[in-house]
Amino acid sequence: MDFVQNFPAASILLCLFAGIISSGLKKKAARRVNTILILIVAFLSTCTLLYTMRTGEAFVYVMGRFPAPWGNEIRAGVLGPLVALFFCVIMLLSLEGGRKKLADEVEEEKTFLYYVLMDLLLASLLALIYTNDLFTAYVFVEINTIAACGLIMIRQNGRTIEAAARYMIMSLLGSGLLLMGICMLYDMTGHLLMSNIREQVIYLYAAGEYRIPLLVTIALMSVGLAIKSALFPFHAWLPDAYGYSTVSSAAILSSLVSKGYILLLIKIIYRVIGFDVFYNSRIIDVLFAFGLMGMIFGSFSAIRENDVRRMIAFSSVAQIGYIYMGIGMGTQAGMTASVFHILSHAATKSLLFIAAIGLTDVSGGSRKLVELTGAAYRNKWAGAAFTVGSLSMVGVPLFSGFISKLLFSQAAVQNGTKMLPALIVLGVSTILNAIYFMKTVIRIYTPVESGKYESISFNKMKLYCLTLVFFVVLNVILGVSSQPIVDLIEQGLVMFS
Amino acid sequence: MYYIILSILFPVLSGVYLLVRKEMKSRKNLLWTTGIFFVITAVFVMLALYTWEGGIFALFSLTQRLPILFKVDEVSVVFSVMAVIIFLCAGLFSFEYMKHEQKEKRYYGFYLIAFGVLLALCFAGNLITFYLFFEMLTLVSMPLVLHNGSREAIMAGLKYLFYSLSGAYMALFGLYFIERYGNTLTFSPGGVISSQAAEGHSAMLLCIAFAMLIGFGVKAGMFPMHAWLSAAHPVAPAPASAVLSAVIAKAGVLAVVRVVYYIFGASFLRGTWVQKTWMVLTLITILMGSVLAYREPVFKKRLAYSTVSQVSYILFGLSVMNADSLTGGFLHVLCHGFIKAGLFLCAGAIIYKTGKTRVEQLRGIGKEMPVLMWCYTILSLGLIGIPPMCGFVSKWYLAEGALSSSLYGFSWIGPVILLLSALLTAGYLLPVTISGFFPGADYPYGALEKKEPSWFMTVPVLALTILSVVIGLLPEGLIYYLSQMIEKLI
Amino acid sequence: MGANLFANYGEAVAMILFGIGFGNLLLQSNLIKKIIGLNIMDTAIYLFLAEKGYIAGRAAPIVKDGVQSMEVYINPIPSGLVLTGIVVSVSVSALMLSITIRLYRRYHTLDLDEISLRLKREGL
Repeated sequence: MDFVQNFPAASILLCLFAGIISSGLKKKAARRVNTILILIVAFLSTCTLLYTMRTGEAFVYVMGRFPAPWGNEIRAGVLGPLVALFFCVIMLLSLEGGRKKLADEVEEEKTFLYYVLMDLLLASLLALIYTNDLFTAYVFVEINTIAACGLIMIRQNGRTIEAAARYMIMSLLGSGLLLMGICMLYDMTGHLLMSNIREQVIYLYAAGEYRIPLLVTIALMSVGLAIKSALFPFHAWLPDAYGYSTVSSAAILSSLVSKGYILLLIKIIYRVIGFDVFYNSRIIDVLFAFGLMGMIFGSFSAIRENDVRRMIAFSSVAQIGYIYMGIGMGTQAGMTASVFHILSHAATKSLLFIAAIGLTDVSGGSRKLVELTGAAYRNKWAGAAFTVGSLSMVGVPLFSGFISKLLFSQAAVQNGTKMLPALIVLGVSTILNAIYFMKTVIRIYTPVESGKYESISFNKMKLYCLTLVFFVVLNVILGVSSQPIVDLIEQGLVMFS
Repeated sequence: MYYIILSILFPVLSGVYLLVRKEMKSRKNLLWTTGIFFVITAVFVMLALYTWEGGIFALFSLTQRLPILFKVDEVSVVFSVMAVIIFLCAGLFSFEYMKHEQKEKRYYGFYLIAFGVLLALCFAGNLITFYLFFEMLTLVSMPLVLHNGSREAIMAGLKYLFYSLSGAYMALFGLYFIERYGNTLTFSPGGVISSQAAEGHSAMLLCIAFAMLIGFGVKAGMFPMHAWLSAAHPVAPAPASAVLSAVIAKAGVLAVVRVVYYIFGASFLRGTWVQKTWMVLTLITILMGSVLAYREPVFKKRLAYSTVSQVSYILFGLSVMNADSLTGGFLHVLCHGFIKAGLFLCAGAIIYKTGKTRVEQLRGIGKEMPVLMWCYTILSLGLIGIPPMCGFVSKWYLAEGALSSSLYGFSWIGPVILLLSALLTAGYLLPVTISGFFPGADYPYGALEKKEPSWFMTVPVLALTILSVVIGLLPEGLIYYLSQMIEKLI
Repeated sequence: MGANLFANYGEAVAMILFGIGFGNLLLQSNLIKKIIGLNIMDTAIYLFLAEKGYIAGRAAPIVKDGVQSMEVYINPIPSGLVLTGIVVSVSVSALMLSITIRLYRRYHTLDLDEISLRLKREGL
């Protein structure tokens, strides 16, 4: 066994330990531990990624001394480390971008808790990405939920607590369904390790046994994870949770937490149920339909919104719809597009959240669109970054959003029956996206005469500007040279099963 | 070879530079800088056209199968030369005109960027590159429309944006299919549809072709997606409307040329329902644009409706798909470009000097600014198509092409509509001249003052007028050049 | 079908309980009732697991009197899962309760819809 194979497990454990240690530290030290941790995990993920790219196959790491089918396993292909690395980058940038806001909004003596939660969140995300054991996945789903709830609540006002309560309730419904699904699957197959379940499922499916329970199980797990990742009809908790929490939390929740669940779903599809079995169940069409509805209704809600943060939050609903549409197409190409969109949306949405906060800060803290008039002149960097993010969301070439749109459409063209609805809804939602994002961009660039609010100079926010620049660069990289990443995703999806 | 990149990058970068740099010390500095940028860009374009040796220039790949590449062919030469001339003239005109508008630096910045993007559009070598810059063009020309920041302007800008974006999406829709059913995405005369892959899918491909036509037709103001033109032009500064109407609307024409003759191929579409529907749409647009212009009292809006009508002349020529009609179409690209730019500049000069925007206010304007109004009259005659002006030559070819078209019905209804619309054109353009020069006996001659604008304004208008006259008098060389190009397309 | 249902009555009861808990968590507007629903739902799942792991006539999987034969004990894995699950559900319930307390202190009501209404009125 190569030394590198220890890295995934090590990064999860490191995060957990860092969380435990940070809970006894002061604010500054906790922050430092957190930053170093993210950097280390990013480094470890890079090593793992390079290693798996070189060997060309996924490896299994046995936790403890018990081999399969009794013990607990970690499995890493190309996709896992790639996503992990990406998540680390986004998390670090989001934290840096919202650092100042965090200091304003969270009580001094509670700040260290924020970093504890962040460490735990990273741990659970990594575990969701790497684990090969369904029950472990469930446990970390719950840890993820609790950490995310803490992230929402850390800024204490009525709104956030209510949002956290709603978030918890929906999440618990989701994880209840997921747990039930896992138990039924365990009941049918007698295993908890994903690869072993898959063997049994193939056997059961071929033998034609347990058809209905299998269908119910697939439905339970899909719906459970769909609720947790805020697919369209289950999105009621989302705008408040993203709209009122502190900005780093909003960025991380929308770009990482919900994506963790979707990755788990993709993993279940490939490694537990099997792509063919999943494809033959009707659930896939349901996911497709709800994805499409989410794309439309999410955008409509966003158009009606006149609070910029909530508008961006509603746009997340639409974007999650894109991802489920890709999954629902039931082709390799659709899945690739979805995974790419997970990355692209993560990069864009966190950029938008971070840029929006720069704009609201120079508008007297008000988030109403009316107050934001001319904000881009008061904070030039945030204005430019917001424009880039918007263009990417609308799907203008050279930015990451265009590549997602392209991949989705290419996938749709290959699919006979779902081609037309997918393409039409993609078109409509592009236009709707353009309506609310371009409206905002024009508003922030509309000059105002009176100097009601002060403008802010580069010197006062060097770190913030640097974060924005990194975000923009990330976006453009994804938009211009997407081919290697798409190749990696395709390769990773093959290794996934 | 690298001149192509330079001629695209230089205006874009210099525009960005103007946008981000601090306010210049004086207006003079700004004008000098901008002027130098214009000239350098023009030189780069000429060098690019002059040194081109054929082949393609691939920049990088967006994804594996979608390279961004540039090349120069006859169509790019026609469109880019026209773009350079009009951009320079309108640019020179803005030096004076923009005095009475705010935020000049921003205007010139976006003006330059739009210039660069438009050149990129002319040089684009494949469909994805074209699409990329088509979207960019919408985005960078939008600030020109909403320049004065009034509510009306913003609404017009948004309207422009949504029409263009929905159009572009319809075109993008086609791109996915062509990627699947075509040999390549690179523009090649005669089309790229692979007959094996398209076997049995021709009905669907026709639908796709139609969607792309409508989608790209949005920029060219083709019915039923023409409404943005009349909203966007009156609110934009006059030189910007000149550019929008004369060049940026032509980007839609260029797109249609590329899609029909370089992607699908004339032989694929000839005689199908797509061709017929397209012809009907263009004829409707020609007539409707003229009628709307005839009834419109606001001068710039009238010119905008006239653009709707005239650009569809070009599209009609393209849709007939024979050598004569194509010659007429391409000639009209140039004629309409120069004439309409000139007319908008005239309108701008009148607004700048007198503040009058409605047609009925323009009584006696010819006495106040004789040089300008003489130019206006000559340009109008050109647009109506009175020999020996250039509009006559292009419309002659258009009518001849339509007459020799083998499509039943269109061969006579086309020329009739062209004639009718020409009459309407005379009806909406000439009253300005007539009441301008002959205001009638009750005109207060005593209060008359000379309002001839400075040479910044008159020189561009004069230049455009002379160009349009020269094309009308000496079209042989141009027609020879065009016919060589058209041979490859048919 | 009916016979199957009767033979697996434990699982059937678990499913019914799960439905009750799920419905409560989803539909009740009182936060405490929601939490009770959550606990019913979780407990139903543990019942299901325990029912699956139980083999009639065998003892709990704790080695007694040195007997190591597999024949004597029931399947230990579901029991392990139940234990883990209980830990998770306890912590989640605790978190929910703490949120409830905070909301109650601020708004003096346990009704979540009422709280949302008030928040809207506050216009925060």
